[in-house]
Amino acid sequence: MSAALVIETESLTRRYGAVLALDSLTVRIESGITGLVGANGAGKSTLLKILLGLVEPTSGTARVMDHTIDVDRQAISRLVGYMPEHDCLPPDMTATEFVTWMARCSGFPPSAARERAAEVLRHVGLFEERYRPMGGYSTGMAQRVKLAQALVHDPTLLILDEPTNGLDPAGRDEMLALIERTGREFGVSVIVSSHLLGELERICDGVVLIDNGRLIRAERLGVLTGATSTLIVEVDGDASAFAEALVARGVSATVDRQMVLVTVPDATDTTHERAAFDAVRDVAVQRHASLLRMERRRGHLEDLFDVAS
Amino acid sequence: MTQPERVNSQAGGAATDGSTIHDLGYRRYAGPRVGTSGAWSALYRQSVRAMFGLGRPAKAKAVPVLVIVVTMLPALGTLVAASASNGQVPIRYGQIIGAQLLLFVLFVAAQVPEVLSRDQQHQLLPLLFTRDVTRVSYATARFAAIASAIFCVASAPLILLYVGEIGIAKDPSAAFVTMGNRIWPVLAQSILTALAMSGIGAALAAWTPRRAYATAAIFGTFLLLAAIAAGLDDLAGVSRRTAELLDPIRAMQTMAMILFGETNRGMELNPPPPIGVYVALTLGLGVAGLSLLTWRMRRIRA
Repeated sequence: MSAALVIETESLTRRYGAVLALDSLTVRIESGITGLVGANGAGKSTLLKILLGLVEPTSGTARVMDHTIDVDRQAISRLVGYMPEHDCLPPDMTATEFVTWMARCSGFPPSAARERAAEVLRHVGLFEERYRPMGGYSTGMAQRVKLAQALVHDPTLLILDEPTNGLDPAGRDEMLALIERTGREFGVSVIVSSHLLGELERICDGVVLIDNGRLIRAERLGVLTGATSTLIVEVDGDASAFAEALVARGVSATVDRQMVLVTVPDATDTTHERAAFDAVRDVAVQRHASLLRMERRRGHLEDLFDVAS
Repeated sequence: MTQPERVNSQAGGAATDGSTIHDLGYRRYAGPRVGTSGAWSALYRQSVRAMFGLGRPAKAKAVPVLVIVVTMLPALGTLVAASASNGQVPIRYGQIIGAQLLLFVLFVAAQVPEVLSRDQQHQLLPLLFTRDVTRVSYATARFAAIASAIFCVASAPLILLYVGEIGIAKDPSAAFVTMGNRIWPVLAQSILTALAMSGIGAALAAWTPRRAYATAAIFGTFLLLAAIAAGLDDLAGVSRRTAELLDPIRAMQTMAMILFGETNRGMELNPPPPIGVYVALTLGLGVAGLSLLTWRMRRIRA
């Protein structure tokens, strides 16, 4: 997949009276699924609304898929689908009527709009319910319709503002899986905002962390959550004695509760790695200790916050 | 309908061994897009349907149906009377339509918020403004639809009278020729009424996200203006004809009388200003309403 830029902002600033919602934010977002993370009020929604042309920046500029936001409004509206954070479903309309109407408002001819609406509603997993008024929908169903209306005009970039808001854990998983599938299988780039770091980790290629309207970090996720140089070994028995035996063999190891953390000097060099694995095996044999688990520790998105704070 | 092969190739050919593909029908769209004009007409059509409650439950149709039926009845009654008396009872278009204006206000107060306030109440504007609907095209499409709907309702009794008067004549084809010029006041009255009423209705509903409050605001404004006009007339000693211009309903009643060349005792005693004043007033209300609606939509935080 080419890493084309979907979003480029240049010292984007937005002020609401005395409140600075965005403080000269400069960020580049590549294609793929990108998480936009920040606490409530960090400026996530403001950034998304500026990109969508709903809010004018106080200063600075931004480009969405090579279109400048205040110049090529119409081109951007074709390329971008938006799922807002708030409720936006008229309760007395059915999902089919609503999504069809949204397609018409994106300039689809009537028959194409109806066909498209049926397809996206099926894609998000709404079947018979789509002929019922939306006032009676559960939060999970409402979120699906909101995603469907964002997809109905076949955008190249999806902007999803807190799509898992208000969902129970199962609903959250389903929504994330749906977003991931849409992004991966159909080559749609996705920007998904959330205040929950953990859930984004599973589906995102990259993450942009903002706080108080300022950029904290923007990274590809592989760098952050890839394998680290720490090997986790869990043994049945005395962990500290096990670690001491490893240290005696010239392998650096520490104890964290029941786990022995072995540091592999250079993760890129397989000989070091093999030596560390051999040492663990030998110590285990020597001490008749059974190994419960042995794996490379992976980085977590939460580490971002440790760095940031 | 679904195209597993195509999906496979898009997914990188990972599932060519026949394993399940969870494609539930999503495809890329390569068909035509009719763009801004298509979006405008979609919005217009949806608004006109909403003004009459079409495609909605029966409850939503109550006020439009009531207003249309009740305002047509006097016209029908007049036609029956005229027909029974062999054309001896004159058909007074201006007077009949003037008496229906308050019912048209009911239609405006009930239905305009349906079109304008609901989008704000249900926070639909951000969805529309990120599509091929611009803030200005939203305002113009909604206003055009409101004005068209009011035109239909306001012209229905007049057109019934017009067609009926030709139909009950002894020689309809001759009546059609002599009545030819009558169609202009019919159209003028309906168009100007539609513009003035949509102007007031749209300007108020655009500022009131709650439907019920918008309805109350529109009805209240018409009543308030009537009360002020009456007060100026009675208490402040402002001339009756000047005060009347503040009250859109009375102004439109007088306009109808002038347009159809009719008169009543009050108009004989106290001649109204020339028709141009009324045309300017109603056109002005329409233009002002559209401008306010557009101004509001350009500034609203979506």
